[in-house]
Amino acid sequence: MEQLEPRVSVKKSTAGTTGTGHSLMAERLQDRVFTLGVTTLLLCIGMSVVFPDQFPRVENLSQLLLNLSVDTIVAVGMMVLMIAGMFDLSVGSVVAFSGGMAGYLMYYHNTNFLLAILAGLVGAVLVGVINGWLIAKARINPMIQTLAMMGIVRGFALMLSGAGIQNFPYEFIYIGQSKLLGLQAPIWYMLATVLLFSFLVNRTTFFRKYYFIGGNEKAAELSGINVQKMKIWAFVISATLAGIAGILLASRLGAALSTSGRGLELRVITAVILGGASLSGGYGKIWGAFLGALFMAIVNNALIIGRVSGYWQEVILGVILIAAVGIDQWLIRRSERVKG
Amino acid sequence: MLRLENISKSFPGVKALDEVSLEFRAGEVHAVCGENGAGKSTLMNIITGNYQPDQGRLVWNGEETTIPNVQHAQRLGISIVYQERSLVDSLSVAENIYPINKPRYRWGIINYSALYQNTQQLLDQLQLTEFSPRTPVSLLSSAQKQMVEIAKALATGPKLLILDEPTASITERETRLLFDIIHLLKEEGVAIIYISHRMAEIKEIADRVSVLKDGRFQGTVEAKDTSIDTIIRMMVGRDMIHKAYASDVGEEVVLSVQNLSGRGFRNVSFQLHKGEILGFAGLMGAGRTEVAKAVFGANPVTEGEVVVQKEAVQINHPSQAIGLGIAYVPEDRKQSGLFLDKTIAENIASARLQEVFYEEETTVSTARQLQQQLGIRTPSVKNKVIKLSGGNQQKVVLGKWLNTRPDILIVDEPTHGVDVGAKSEIYDILKKITAEGKSIIVISSELPELLTLADRIAVMHEGRLVRILNKDEASEELIIQIASGQTP
Repeated sequence: MEQLEPRVSVKKSTAGTTGTGHSLMAERLQDRVFTLGVTTLLLCIGMSVVFPDQFPRVENLSQLLLNLSVDTIVAVGMMVLMIAGMFDLSVGSVVAFSGGMAGYLMYYHNTNFLLAILAGLVGAVLVGVINGWLIAKARINPMIQTLAMMGIVRGFALMLSGAGIQNFPYEFIYIGQSKLLGLQAPIWYMLATVLLFSFLVNRTTFFRKYYFIGGNEKAAELSGINVQKMKIWAFVISATLAGIAGILLASRLGAALSTSGRGLELRVITAVILGGASLSGGYGKIWGAFLGALFMAIVNNALIIGRVSGYWQEVILGVILIAAVGIDQWLIRRSERVKG
Repeated sequence: MLRLENISKSFPGVKALDEVSLEFRAGEVHAVCGENGAGKSTLMNIITGNYQPDQGRLVWNGEETTIPNVQHAQRLGISIVYQERSLVDSLSVAENIYPINKPRYRWGIINYSALYQNTQQLLDQLQLTEFSPRTPVSLLSSAQKQMVEIAKALATGPKLLILDEPTASITERETRLLFDIIHLLKEEGVAIIYISHRMAEIKEIADRVSVLKDGRFQGTVEAKDTSIDTIIRMMVGRDMIHKAYASDVGEEVVLSVQNLSGRGFRNVSFQLHKGEILGFAGLMGAGRTEVAKAVFGANPVTEGEVVVQKEAVQINHPSQAIGLGIAYVPEDRKQSGLFLDKTIAENIASARLQEVFYEEETTVSTARQLQQQLGIRTPSVKNKVIKLSGGNQQKVVLGKWLNTRPDILIVDEPTHGVDVGAKSEIYDILKKITAEGKSIIVISSELPELLTLADRIAVMHEGRLVRILNKDEASEELIIQIASGQTP
């Protein structure tokens, strides 16, 4: 229902007489952060009206945010990659690996929790370096490289955490289970990540270069951008964020599970595309990654509250993804027709 | 066999063909000559059904016809060997030669033994013995690939065969073979259209020669009665915006290239002075772009020295070149110059991402300044570049590079696909830059452009810099002679 909203307003705007009003509206409609934000807001209002006793409650909403915090942190890194025209399928495995590494060291070797976290993150960075180096320098296709890495890293995660590790020191648990102003810590980490990267991507030339690489790699290289180096960095950033997310997840659950983050990579890519990224690169905003993950979480929440069978969740998310991208293509074609 | 009557074709801003009438006869080799941009490829695209003419008639074997698409042209028996490759590297020679018309059993099952047999016959006919029908194309040299292209065209049993620069990448021995085959095809009554820049070849193989100039038909002559000089004279001497510019050449040498070698060129030396415009002339594939890219750090240098402002430098990446005050405007602005989906402001900022912070406002105000300075016609610098005309796009690329405040600006085909008005504006811009004491290298395939702009013209032929001409001794005839390897 909500997805039809943009279509209705397009018809209205074509009826309008002022040319500038139309182009501004058309521009707005092509900004996914705007359309997705409005859609999410409408979805929230709709849910509050239909389920006033269940949806708009602090417990429900904070649980919802908590559940999407790990996904969002990974999605921020994925957004950077997709702006540059690449993606990383190994992030889900890295989530399990970094948590497993930290858990393994703490449980079996009594390592200090800070050192254990550091080791988990170093492992994640290493995965990013290998991915980036092989993709940028050895020119292995990102899809193949990260697909292979997804399996390799998952294997290591299994070796580290086996059937699962529990009984972590209090300091480690504290990271993911403490609260600030009534909200669980992971929510704050998520917001901090989104704000930090939103600033970096908008305001630093380093991250700005990814838009140019995604827009036209050849021209980027000739513009003096060191494309290979930038690609390696993008994979390192994405893997590091996945590593942080893995530590956070292990801490929150109080357990490192080898199955953590299974299927997370596709969920995150879905969120990032919903949030305005394109597979060919050049587009996307960090806030789009957050909104994409938020929107998916709210849809899931709505289906649970509405007692829709869990099997339908995936079907509905798939339909929404196709609809979002389809409407976008339709809007682009339409604006080209108007111009031409 | 095929007669073209009053064919016209326009593209936005350019009249590519203007009332061209030509006639191709069975059993005849008909050469079509003209400089780059004269309309040869547009004409061939019309014959092969890629483009539809705006005006005029096509008469095929006495009947008026239209060629709506490539498939239709193939059914008529029109076959073309493109300059660019049309082969799929991962497939075998045989599968490439028969992309659609493979021999088949019933129900469409491919008869591979017949496929390989037919291919072998063709290869034998072309005396290609170094590889077999099963060889993957990826293993062939570029000359061998060119011969496979020719075999592919022959496999269709053409009645009209178009050869577009067929000898550009093959050796002397293969050229001989090709000529033998052309003679054979002639006897079988095939009409052949032969496009080449190499005058000696045309003189040898062609029966008649037609010349195009700026999209207009200049006439058809008998090859045996006409001298090369006459043909060249028919090709050049167009009516052009003739502007006389004052020279700003200073004494100081800002760039000196000594014995530079790299991919596509060998042993190139030249000097660029302050305020000078140095032109680079040569045929396609002569190595001009390759030299520029090597100096800019985009292609590797294998030997030789580059001296910028009296300091020997090693440039391994474009970012270093930018740091040294060198800018390079590439020849293909859509593929390698612009970010088409990005705004004008973003494009202009794209070569200046050295500072830490990216300020949207500064980007926009810089872009506005350059928009004014260069006369980029657009309502807002926040518009996407893809919506601009070719001339305005080219000005955006120039703006992008002027924004890096270069001392040395290399421009590769600065007015390619640009209309006459914008062309003259771009000339003015380039001249203004040299008046500020900057130096420019202009690579161009349009000789009048070089003669108008350049203080000196370096002429390249097959990867070597043959001669550097001073402005007063340079003429279109002389440049074409040197560029096509007939050193006078």
